[in-house]
Amino acid sequence: MSRPNDDPVLRSARREAAITLLVFAAALVYTVVYCSLYGYDRPVESLTFVLGLPDWVFWGILVPWGVCTVVSCVMSFAVMADHDLEEAAPPSDLPSDEEGRRG
Amino acid sequence: MDRPASGGVGVMLALAAFIAASAVLGALAQRRVRKGEFLQGYFLGNRALGAWALALTATVQSGGTFMGFPSLVYSYGWIVALWIAGYMVVPLTGFAVVGKRLAQLSRHSGAITVPDLLRERFDSPAAALLASLLIIVFMSSMMVAQFKAGAIVMGLAWPDADPAAVAADDGGEGADGDEGAEKDAGPKRASGLDRRQLVGLVVFSVVVVGYTMFGGFLASVWTDLFQSVMMLVGVVILALLVVPAAGGLEQATRTAVANTSPGFAFGPGHAPATSPDGWAFLPSGLAVSFFVLWVFSGIGSPASIVRVMATESTQVLRRSVFLLACYNCLIYVPLIVICVAGRALIPDLRDTDQIIPRLALGYTGQGAGAALMSGLILAAPFGAVMATVSCYLVVIASGLVKDVYLRFVRPHAPVAEIRRVTYAAMIIVGLVAVALNIRPVQYLQVLVVFSGASGAATFVVPILMAAYWRRGTGPGVVAAMAAGSGTMFLLYFGGWIQRSVWTAVANGSTSPLVNTIAETLGREPLIGIAGGLRPYYLLGLDPILWALPASLAAGVVVSLTTSPPDPARVSRYFDVVTR
Repeated sequence: MSRPNDDPVLRSARREAAITLLVFAAALVYTVVYCSLYGYDRPVESLTFVLGLPDWVFWGILVPWGVCTVVSCVMSFAVMADHDLEEAAPPSDLPSDEEGRRG
Repeated sequence: MDRPASGGVGVMLALAAFIAASAVLGALAQRRVRKGEFLQGYFLGNRALGAWALALTATVQSGGTFMGFPSLVYSYGWIVALWIAGYMVVPLTGFAVVGKRLAQLSRHSGAITVPDLLRERFDSPAAALLASLLIIVFMSSMMVAQFKAGAIVMGLAWPDADPAAVAADDGGEGADGDEGAEKDAGPKRASGLDRRQLVGLVVFSVVVVGYTMFGGFLASVWTDLFQSVMMLVGVVILALLVVPAAGGLEQATRTAVANTSPGFAFGPGHAPATSPDGWAFLPSGLAVSFFVLWVFSGIGSPASIVRVMATESTQVLRRSVFLLACYNCLIYVPLIVICVAGRALIPDLRDTDQIIPRLALGYTGQGAGAALMSGLILAAPFGAVMATVSCYLVVIASGLVKDVYLRFVRPHAPVAEIRRVTYAAMIIVGLVAVALNIRPVQYLQVLVVFSGASGAATFVVPILMAAYWRRGTGPGVVAAMAAGSGTMFLLYFGGWIQRSVWTAVANGSTSPLVNTIAETLGREPLIGIAGGLRPYYLLGLDPILWALPASLAAGVVVSLTTSPPDPARVSRYFDVVTR
C-alpha cells in the first residue's frame, strides 16, 4: 500500500517488483505446464526437432526464454526508473582509517 | 572412440596465464582499496560497481554452472533444460525485485554487509548475528564444492595427465555401460583426489585466496568479470567444436538416446544404470520447485545482495538487467547443447563432473594452437570456480570480521588489526576448504543446490521485509531467518534419517524404532539427483517450496505480535527525506 509521503525510490521499486513477479509467475506457469504436457513420457518415435532441439524444448523452454529476454530488455530501457540514491552515511561506531593510524 | 588427448604443456601455460592475469587484477584492486576507507573499500568496493561488473558477477556463475550443471545434462538428458529454466527470469528478478531498494537502504544506513543492513534497518543485533552465522554455514558449503572443481580442472590440465587414467582413479558413479557398478540407495562419495588433483588443489587455493586476500571485494569482482568474459568465449568455442563433431545437434540427440535410453530426450529424464529402477530425475513437482529455487536464490543470495548494494547507480542496475539477460542466453543454452553432444561423443564417462574439461581436451585437435585453445576453454570452468571462491571468501570474511570480531571481540580495533584479522580469516577458511576436499563429495551440483536454496530460504523474506514492509520488526526478521533455514535443515536431516533407516531395514534391522521411523517417513522417492546429499521430499517437492512459506509466515506473525518498530527509524528508510 502506498502512502503520500513514501520515498519516490520506494514507490518505483515496489511497482517494478510487482511487474517482475508477474513476469516470473507467467514464465513459471507456461514453461512447466507446456513441458509437462508435451515433454514427458513420450515414445521415442514421436520425437521431432525444431532447429536441432527436441520440439518440446524449443517451444517450452527456448521460446519463453527468448520472450523473457525481450521483456527484460523492455523493463531495462522503458520501465525501470532512475533515481538519485544519495551518498552513504559511514558507520558511526567503527574506527576510521585516521583513527587506525593513530591507534 | 579414441581416448582424448592429454593436457600438454600448452594447456597448463594457458591456465597459468589465466591465473597470472587474475593475480594482476587482484594487485590492481589492492591499490584502489588503499585509496579509500578500508572497510568500505575492502568489502564493498566503495559502492562503485558499473553495469558490466554488476551484470556478469552478481549472480555468480560458479563451478556449478560449468561443471556441475553440465554433469547433470550428461547424466539425465534434455530434461535438465527444464531444471535450469528459472534462469530465464533471473536477470530481471535478481535486480528488479529488491535491487533499487537495497542500494538505497545500504546508503542510508551505511551498511556494507547483509548483517549490517539487517541490524541498521531493524535495530536488531540478534538479526545481524544470526545472519552472520547462517551466511558462514551456507556459503562455506558452496565454496568447499568449488575447490573440488578447481582441483579437477588442474589435474586434467597437467602436462602428462591421461584423462582416462584420471577417470579410472575416481570411484565416482559409473555412467551407462558400467555393469559392474553397484546400485546403492545411500549417499555416495568419490574416492580421494589423485596426486595431480591434490597439487592442483593446493595451487588453486593459494592463488585464489592470495589475490582475494590482497584485493578484497574489488579483486573478486574484477577477476570475476574477466573470468565471465573468458567463460563466454570458452563456451561458444566449445559449442562450435563439439556439435559438428557429433554430427549436428539432432544427430547428437539421436546418438545419445541410442547410448542411453529414450528418457534422454524427454522428461522425467534418463535413469543412469547405477540408479534404482524407475528413477525420475525431474517429475513435475521438482520442475516447479527448481524454477522457484533458481529465481529466489538469485534474490536471496548474500553474494548477490552485497553486489547490488555496491552498485554505482540505478542506471547501472537497469543496464545490468539487459546485459545479464543477453549473457545468460549465450551461456546456458550452449552449455546444454554441448553436453548433449558430449553424451554422444563420450558415452561412458565415469566422473560426469569432468565432461566439460574432457571435451575441451579431446576436441580441440593437436599442436600448440590446439593446446592453447584447450587451455582457453578449460579456463571457463576454472574461472567460474575461482570467481565463486573469491566472492564467497570476501562475504564470509566480512561476516567474521565486521559482524563477529568487531562487534563482539574488539569493537575499537585499529585498521591495521582489522586488516590482519581479515587476512587470517581468509587463510583459515581456505585451509578448511582444502582439508574438506581431500575426499570430495560427488556431484558438485548437489552442494550448489543446497547452498542456493538455503540462502534463499533464509534471506529472501528478511530483505523483502527490509525493503517494503514498514511494520517488519527485528524479532520478525529473526523468526523469518530461523524458520526458513530451520525448515531447510530439518528436511535435509529428514532425508538423511530416511536413507539411514531404510538402509538399516535392508540390512535386516529388527529394531522397532527403526521400523517405525521407516514406515512413518516412507521409502525414499526415486527422484532428483541420485546419490549425495538428498533432502526429504515432502509431497515430492524440494524443501525450498516449504521453507519460503515457513519463513514468510514466521516473519509476518512474529512482526505483528511484537512491538511496532520505532517510527523515526521507519520514516528514515521509507519516507521522503526533508532537506
